[in-house]
Amino acid sequence: VSERGPFLFKDIDTPELTGIETYRKGGGYRSLEQAIGKKSPDEVTEIVKASGLRGRGGAGFPTGLKWTFVPRQSPKPRYLVCNADESEPGTFKDRELMEKNPHLLIEGMVMAGYAIGARVGYIYLRGEFETIQRILDRAIGEARAAGLLGANVAGSGVGFELHTHLGAGAYICGEETALLSSLEGFRGQPRLKPPFPAVEGLYACPTIVNNVETLMNVPAIVANGAAWFRQWGTEKSPGTKILSVSGPVKRPGNYEVPMGLPLRRLIDEQCGGVRDGFKIKAVIPGGSSVPLLPASMLDTGLDFESMVAAGTLLGSGGVIVIDDQTCIVDALYNITRFYEHESCGKCTPCREGTYWMSEVFERLESGHGRERDIDLLFDVSDNILGKSFCALGDAAAMPVMGAIKHFREEFEYHVRHKRCAVNRRRDEVRETTGATA
Amino acid sequence: VSATCRVTINGRTVEVPAGTLVTDAAKVADVHVPIFCSHQKLPPLGACRICVVEVGMPRKDKEGKPVLDASGAPEIAWMPKVQTGCTTTVADGMHVRTESETSVKARKGVMEFLLVNHPLDCPVCDEGGECQLQDLAFAFGHDFSRMDEAKRTFDSEDLGPVVKKEANRCIVCMRCVRYCDEIMGDDALTAHQRGVRSEISSFNRQPLDCEQCGNCIEVCPVGALTALPYRFKARPWDLRQHITVCPYCSNGCSVRLGVRGNQVLRARGTEARGVNQEYLCVRGRFGYEFINSPERLTMPLMRLGASLEPASFDSAAQFAASRLREIAVQHGPGSVAFLGGEKLTVEEQYLFQKLARAVVGTPHVDARTRFTSRVTAAAQLKAVGGGRPGPSLASLTTAQEVLILGDDLQGEGPFAQAQLIRGQHQFGVHLTVAHPRRVKLARPKFRGDHLALRPGSEVALLNGLCRALLELGEPQGLPPAAAQGLAGLKGALAEWTAEKTEEATGVPAAALKAAAERLRRAERKVVVFGRAYTEHPEAPALLQAVENLGWLSGALTDERSSILYVGPQNNSQGALDMGLAPDVGPGYQPAEQGLSAPEILKAAADGKVRALWIVSDHWLQSAPDRALAERALERCELVIVNDLFLTDTARRAHVVFPASSFAEKEGVMVNCERRLQKSVRALPPLKGSRPDWEVFQAVAQSMGAPWTYRTAEDVFREIARTVGIYRGFSWSTMLPLGPRWSDAQAAAAPASLAAAKDGRPAAGEGLWLLSGGTLFLQGSLSYRGALLPRLAKHARASLHPGEALRLGVADGDPLELGGPSGSVTLPVEIDDAVPLGAVFVPYAFQEAQLNRLGSPAGAGLRVRARRADGVPA
Repeated sequence: VSERGPFLFKDIDTPELTGIETYRKGGGYRSLEQAIGKKSPDEVTEIVKASGLRGRGGAGFPTGLKWTFVPRQSPKPRYLVCNADESEPGTFKDRELMEKNPHLLIEGMVMAGYAIGARVGYIYLRGEFETIQRILDRAIGEARAAGLLGANVAGSGVGFELHTHLGAGAYICGEETALLSSLEGFRGQPRLKPPFPAVEGLYACPTIVNNVETLMNVPAIVANGAAWFRQWGTEKSPGTKILSVSGPVKRPGNYEVPMGLPLRRLIDEQCGGVRDGFKIKAVIPGGSSVPLLPASMLDTGLDFESMVAAGTLLGSGGVIVIDDQTCIVDALYNITRFYEHESCGKCTPCREGTYWMSEVFERLESGHGRERDIDLLFDVSDNILGKSFCALGDAAAMPVMGAIKHFREEFEYHVRHKRCAVNRRRDEVRETTGATA
Repeated sequence: VSATCRVTINGRTVEVPAGTLVTDAAKVADVHVPIFCSHQKLPPLGACRICVVEVGMPRKDKEGKPVLDASGAPEIAWMPKVQTGCTTTVADGMHVRTESETSVKARKGVMEFLLVNHPLDCPVCDEGGECQLQDLAFAFGHDFSRMDEAKRTFDSEDLGPVVKKEANRCIVCMRCVRYCDEIMGDDALTAHQRGVRSEISSFNRQPLDCEQCGNCIEVCPVGALTALPYRFKARPWDLRQHITVCPYCSNGCSVRLGVRGNQVLRARGTEARGVNQEYLCVRGRFGYEFINSPERLTMPLMRLGASLEPASFDSAAQFAASRLREIAVQHGPGSVAFLGGEKLTVEEQYLFQKLARAVVGTPHVDARTRFTSRVTAAAQLKAVGGGRPGPSLASLTTAQEVLILGDDLQGEGPFAQAQLIRGQHQFGVHLTVAHPRRVKLARPKFRGDHLALRPGSEVALLNGLCRALLELGEPQGLPPAAAQGLAGLKGALAEWTAEKTEEATGVPAAALKAAAERLRRAERKVVVFGRAYTEHPEAPALLQAVENLGWLSGALTDERSSILYVGPQNNSQGALDMGLAPDVGPGYQPAEQGLSAPEILKAAADGKVRALWIVSDHWLQSAPDRALAERALERCELVIVNDLFLTDTARRAHVVFPASSFAEKEGVMVNCERRLQKSVRALPPLKGSRPDWEVFQAVAQSMGAPWTYRTAEDVFREIARTVGIYRGFSWSTMLPLGPRWSDAQAAAAPASLAAAKDGRPAAGEGLWLLSGGTLFLQGSLSYRGALLPRLAKHARASLHPGEALRLGVADGDPLELGGPSGSVTLPVEIDDAVPLGAVFVPYAFQEAQLNRLGSPAGAGLRVRARRADGVPA
């Protein structure tokens, strides 16, 4: 087993893997050739359903089940869309996967497209992924030349065409309906659900939106079967998960681990523990949108159910380690500013609430905070939570509420002493630039 | 699935149709659920979140039986999150609560958020006093603000001459943007930036390039978009508000006039009432200025030698009566003719024709002064299927196929156009536009089919369509009279193959066949035509062809009609109903045949008609031949004019009666869907002016008629008693929306199928003269304000770029158009919506005076065009 991971990361660092020859040498496209036109679309869906594969974009919805939501009678064309708008702060797994192994995504998309009856697929890339778009376009060209894309995939008579599309730089376009609006050329804002994209998605046609990592799981699952896939992970969260670890750990980066691995083991064993002189204060386990876990809860397993039980979410797998010399208020201010900047403005609670929150944070951080500001912040977050149009509002509210719940004394310290208790970031900025940040 | 759902809202159970939104169900249950972004004409959005409520369903056990709580009531499983009522449809058994702790906290939270960046400038905001945000802040908000941070700010902008934008007040509900896109079809507004910096503006931050309808102002729930003409004019609580009927086109929109003292300060839509609800076009919303114009006539005028001198009302009436009597006695009653009256109320129209027929004794009555050939009211009635129930404006949104024949609805019926755009966008209405120009509805945005026929080939196109319909199979269920003509029609149409029609009209054979097939196949269809056909020199043939098309396509059946006639004026339909036509009396009862308007024009110019009474019509402008009209006015021994203003026509009169405006009198208006609506008196008549019916009565009394109407309502009572089609109607049922009349017996028109012949050449030579309605101006009233003429700019002659190149003219160059009787010179406008070989000039412009060119004849009118300043190309 490779050091980086048992499955998706097993051969990820193979030189020239982006080229079709190397990819095929490692067994690439074999699953596709054995499935398209040989297994029925329903069989492919059934295998994925049996494997228990759950969406890796954050929500963890069972992938095979989602595919069955495409209405069978609909005369409209169907679309497959790959959500590669990886924008969640702290998450950088799809980027590495696509940079290093673009053909696996193509293979996964052809097979998923075959399963749902789509003849066209789109890869929606975040605006900054220009390089990746070039890599993917080159790989798509190779696959087309090899007869693996186009009107007659691998001689099966089934057609599938694939296009990449670069976003224009909005976090909200990672939300699937906003992504579809953006892909259609409209303002990137979420749409009303229902109808869900599986019924009325891209151009009001049945559309399945899957994450990059999810789609990359498909070829091996179909080739090796559900039982093989279930060798990793837990009963309800089978398989592996790629986690992007950042913060003061010795070896930050992407790691592929079996689902259910305790968070502590990820940090201690894979990442080599925290850097000398630091202690963990808290960990955000699933990207900036999820509530943080205090250091006391590090034994929670990295799977969907355990994280929910611990009051947080596995999310997109962006593990942000926060050390004891980081100011929680400052960190949350940073996150809140991000959401304020990225709020699309469609709904009132998110648009106005995130603005208000970041204004209150600014006051706390600048030493003008008042005792009542902490409750105000909590109440404003509570007024956003569950009232916003899409999950972005919740994503802005939950971390703040979690932080106040677990680290209220740090907020109170700001009010009483008019400064942060500790603030490594500010000290480092001051040291390097001489400025007071 | 049952058709209705029982929903319990705050403990009150109501039954509503399945698919109803919770916010609408709440209205039924008399529970107030506030809304901002939601709008009755726009699909659910769910953005503002003010309508959040708790929603639950009865909990059920494994056997599907409801679980009961300790008190025996069903236990409700409330959803964990609050839901937006404006996006949630009801389910049977659903429970909703709006006053629970969770709902109240959620709503107050949203209210507080809405006020986070909203400025506290209510005292200087035009919306203050009728602002939904203000009202709801009082109703649901906190009484103090926890937000003491700096608010984000934007600069204010003037988005053109009608819209003022104060973005700081904006709550980003997107109503304006969506309304502009989905209902106006203009896409003039958008949101810039995102999040808290979202700002509504035009795309390029330039003045709005749109219809200037101001509906964005109407639907704005706050004071972010306000009307520049009304800016800082009044506080809403200082205004008396009167809902009346718009005086412009035949759509008959309800308009709410805001009056302070004797000044009309604004006009708005009515939110929930009227055929239009909140909708108004630019004319309806900003065209009220003429009411308060200082140029209004305030005294009757009588000719003394060369000049018109003020006179008392009584002496003017007596003079008019005695001269009418003298002329009628001397030269016979047939030497008197009555013209105009399409803008009068039904009561006035009735008395006008009664004065003519019963008091003076002349059959020469016609309201349709623009017509270029003799068209009987009977023919007009027959073309729309007689008194059969016809299509409504509402049906334009729900039809599958709508065929628009010859009219540019943007000018002739802006609300009908808005209905079609909304129908296309929201309900998939397919539009087929048969028009030589690429009018707004023919734009690619509306995904319809444009049958761009050559000017002058209207009859050929209809014949081709009819023949294509016949090829799709024989029409079933024709009334016997129509069935009789079928064989003859078939023979006559045999030559109009799609190929020949293509040759004659330029419309591809395939497009023609496809249009015929869509029309035949559609279960719900509407055929729309208007003045482009009735004012056409071939009008009788065109009306017959429209009827043929109706029977052959199924747009006419024995039970109902799907043909909509959009008349040129606000009460054109009333004028027909009341018999302001040379062949019928009120209620389409046969009357002694008189001369039609174009015939009266000729007879007066020849000295055969010696007295003219012209009401509410600037005849010199509207008559098809201005030279002829000038001669007629010169030769007549007596010309009486009723008008609000001293028009050029009035200047040539012997007696001028100052008329009251629509806002100053009561009466009934009939719109294009034949709906009777009561116009109310919003302010007293301008001192010295009188409603036209009082003038008619005074003159009739002076002539010895025993008329004793005390009010206009007295007149209507007589109409309701004596005129079959209005039998049983009364004013009390018309506030503001009245019934639509349909009466297949009283207004029976014999169905017929007969060949429509064309082939007469057009008058003149050179480019085809295309004319039509325009958005910003309609009729002589619209010049009298400041805003509409400013929006309309100067009249221009529009040419295809290729035609301009051929003539060697560029944008703005003076172009001389020469017709059989004269010429006009207008600046050129390059417009690729105009076909090659034609020039387009809207007729509403005072300065255009197209009737100086001569009357159209045969297939139309052609004009010689050349650069007027003599500079060679």
